Amino acid sequence: MSNTVEDPIAGGVLIEDSPSAKVPAVSRLRRHRAWLGLLPFFAFLFIFLLLPTLGVIRKAFLANDDTYTTKGFTTAISQEGAAFWNSLKISLITAILGVIFGTALAYAAATAKRPKWLRSLVSAFSGVAANMGGIILAFLFLTLLGRQGLGTKILTDNGWNPYKSWFSINDFSGVVLVYMYFQIPLMVLVTLPAIDGLKTSWREASANLGGTTLTYWRRVGLPVLAPSMLGGFLLLFANAYSAYATAYALNTQSNLVPIKISFFLQGDVTGRSPVPFALATWMILFMAVSMGGYLVLRKRAERWQQSAVA
Amino acid sequence: MSALTFEAVRKTFGSNVALEGFDLNLHQGELVTLLGPSGCGKTTGLRIAAGFERADSGRILVEGADISKMPPHKRNMGMVFQSYSLFPNLTVTGNVEYGLRTRRIEKAERDRRVAEVLELVQLTALGSRYAHQLSGGQQQRVALARALAVRPRVLLLDEPLSALDAKVRTTLRDEIRRIQTEVGITTLFVTHDQEEALAISDRICVMSNGQIEQLGTPTEVYRKPATAFVARFVGTMNVLPATISGATEANVNGTRIAVPNAKGMGKGSEISLLVRPEDLTLATDGLAGTVTSITFQGASTLVGVRLDVIDQLVSIDVGQGGADSLTLGDRVGVGVNGSNAVCEPTH
Amino acid sequence: MAAISSRLKAYLGRIGPSLVLLAAAVFFIAPILSTARAAFHKVPTILLDRHTWFKKWSLEGVRRALDEPFFWPTLSLSLKLALVTVLITMMLLVPTALFVHLRLPRARALVEFLTVLPYVVPPIALVAGVAAFFRPNARWFLNSDFALAPFYVVMAMPFTYRAIDAGIKAIDVRTLVDASRSLGGSWATTLRKALLPNMASSLLSSAFLTATVVLGEFTIASTLAKNTFATFSFEYFSRDAQGGVGLALFTLLATTALLGMMTLLTRSKSRKAATVTRF
Repeated sequence: MSNTVEDPIAGGVLIEDSPSAKVPAVSRLRRHRAWLGLLPFFAFLFIFLLLPTLGVIRKAFLANDDTYTTKGFTTAISQEGAAFWNSLKISLITAILGVIFGTALAYAAATAKRPKWLRSLVSAFSGVAANMGGIILAFLFLTLLGRQGLGTKILTDNGWNPYKSWFSINDFSGVVLVYMYFQIPLMVLVTLPAIDGLKTSWREASANLGGTTLTYWRRVGLPVLAPSMLGGFLLLFANAYSAYATAYALNTQSNLVPIKISFFLQGDVTGRSPVPFALATWMILFMAVSMGGYLVLRKRAERWQQSAVA
Repeated sequence: MSALTFEAVRKTFGSNVALEGFDLNLHQGELVTLLGPSGCGKTTGLRIAAGFERADSGRILVEGADISKMPPHKRNMGMVFQSYSLFPNLTVTGNVEYGLRTRRIEKAERDRRVAEVLELVQLTALGSRYAHQLSGGQQQRVALARALAVRPRVLLLDEPLSALDAKVRTTLRDEIRRIQTEVGITTLFVTHDQEEALAISDRICVMSNGQIEQLGTPTEVYRKPATAFVARFVGTMNVLPATISGATEANVNGTRIAVPNAKGMGKGSEISLLVRPEDLTLATDGLAGTVTSITFQGASTLVGVRLDVIDQLVSIDVGQGGADSLTLGDRVGVGVNGSNAVCEPTH
Repeated sequence: MAAISSRLKAYLGRIGPSLVLLAAAVFFIAPILSTARAAFHKVPTILLDRHTWFKKWSLEGVRRALDEPFFWPTLSLSLKLALVTVLITMMLLVPTALFVHLRLPRARALVEFLTVLPYVVPPIALVAGVAAFFRPNARWFLNSDFALAPFYVVMAMPFTYRAIDAGIKAIDVRTLVDASRSLGGSWATTLRKALLPNMASSLLSSAFLTATVVLGEFTIASTLAKNTFATFSFEYFSRDAQGGVGLALFTLLATTALLGMMTLLTRSKSRKAATVTRF
């Protein structure tokens, strides 16, 4: 009488009497081999995402004379401090404005009962506008509020020339305004599901228990929306920080990190200076922190949206 | 004085009449169930009482006072919704004391009442849990505690058991009834499940298409259904095609049966005779048929018989042991007791 | 008094959302309108007044753009790039997603995390990486215009994987595969007849989305000095403003049409239940 048993799944022979005989040896190997199926995917990401990223980080540490140093990072900050500061300002301002107006728009669209197609329209348009960036957006706003813009002309004819005042499409104020065109829709996209998740029964229960509209929002509505809104803020921040094409096409006078990176890359033929790569590494770091925070907050929000266990 | 009164309430949604001429009085401390299929207006009635819908005409009175125009947050009623009504960002305690905080009751008294009401629903240990950590049954118990914590005048329950598993449903429904009688609170309960309604109500209001079909105790509604709708909706009914052959008599294919409810129906008119399984018996001189099924249900056994002459399937409740000597295919006779049968005109 | 202020509050509560929607509509449509005017109206803005407003409307600007020598070559390159990107995406991600669902569910969290990583490396950083790694080591690769495609696949991966994954989750893959295999179908047949038809709408929508991203992508193309439709549009705009704007409008309409088609297709297909089709 042998102590071997046939594995009903893999058909092979189970190892007898070994302490780890819970997993038959044959199918354990099979399971490891299964990961091979993901090889193309891993390989693709390795070549086209990981290697460039590692290349950036490595070059950031490489000084002009081929020695490894962290000077690149410090030079990047000291030399391009203005760019950092401007990028930070733009990202913060457009993120905050995007959260405020985006939430308001999402709420208006989600609660609108007539016409019935309004919500899908806002949702679809947001899908388009959020991914619109690039140069098309810049052209659109140049025709509206550029120096020769239609809007500029209308405003001037009616008494107020924005360019004589504080506004310029090529400057900080212009970039902020143009960025809102994709920041607000992005916030709408992220917030609509969260607002849908606000069950009417909560609103009614609150009223039934004696709460006014203000009570509801203060004690239930806003706290439940808070993780989504915070996550949205982080997402918008990251989005604005990394935007390149629009700022480039607006020919902005304001000094921004992405523009600087491209400027250095194209100017420096030898590819020796660590500065653009240090700038890019800083950017990757910012993005990692922001996206990480966004994902954590989104998980939190989703947990509250599925209220029942059984 | 009636605790809650609906007076001639009418409500339409666009062209759909949800409630028509709805009159109902709830006495202090009683549990009245609005029972009916979806679309019958029962939920609309409840929501009008709560203040979430406004009646087109008619009034709502609580202890004599007209509250028809009062906004929901001033009505001081407790409501339990069908599902997912607990505030997800607050703990069980936070949920239960919500109504107490809106009434600005101080902490000491709040804590006392929360403890009191959590003990009532037997969830004292779960005060610091969140909604997503509770099972469906536990969530509804917290919802009940939350509604009762404010000591409302009326308790409104909108199909609170419909979203739960069958087993949990029966235990929780009995608990709700226990708590309701213990606290003595006037309760309006809405459900489409007639078994639930029969089990816990003091009175049942059977509704269909915005109108009241019958208002009575569970026994009345079951044993003496006022209309064919009620007869069919509550409990099970056997349907026998028959003709009216006398003032209180119906004729089922030659067999004459005394049917008191046939009064007032024209002689010779064709009807469906609705008879409960427990009003049918195995009788040697009854309608001839063949046994097609024997279903053991614990306390009773249902015997299915296909009648010869009318090719109709009837279900006979033979009580415990009544089917012991039967097998499928046996020839039997079915006796009909028409004293509670309902006549439904056929067209 | 209390009744009046609560009625006022209720009124504001009701028109508030409408005001927000109106303001949003104005903000989002105005630039498009001004672009249309700039493209079709051959009157310089400074000269605009009641008399000149109704004269000199024509399609001239757009026609000039279309006549540009580099219009068709760059457009066709961008379209080809879009096609290649979509193909690579499908061939890479669909099997991967199916594999994770059917054979290796434990890998799900890892794969999902990896597909979101591209967010962390924005296009400008990615192109810096390309310059850092590929220029010194594989310059031959960058010489081809189609070198852009794999990077576009990476850029689009967060949305495309999400869409494909959602499409798989919406159908009961396990049951379909088991049914198909038990009826004698090979893996290829299963894929072709049971899985892909039921995933069609999510595949199509991610394909359209990828195409719009590729057509509009500027950062990488410009830094790597490739002649795509986007880089051409920019260069043309700096030369001929009205033509450039006409081109922008054309691109905008084409993109909207693509996405409109996509929404229509996904809406009607989502109504049908998933079935094993046509055996």
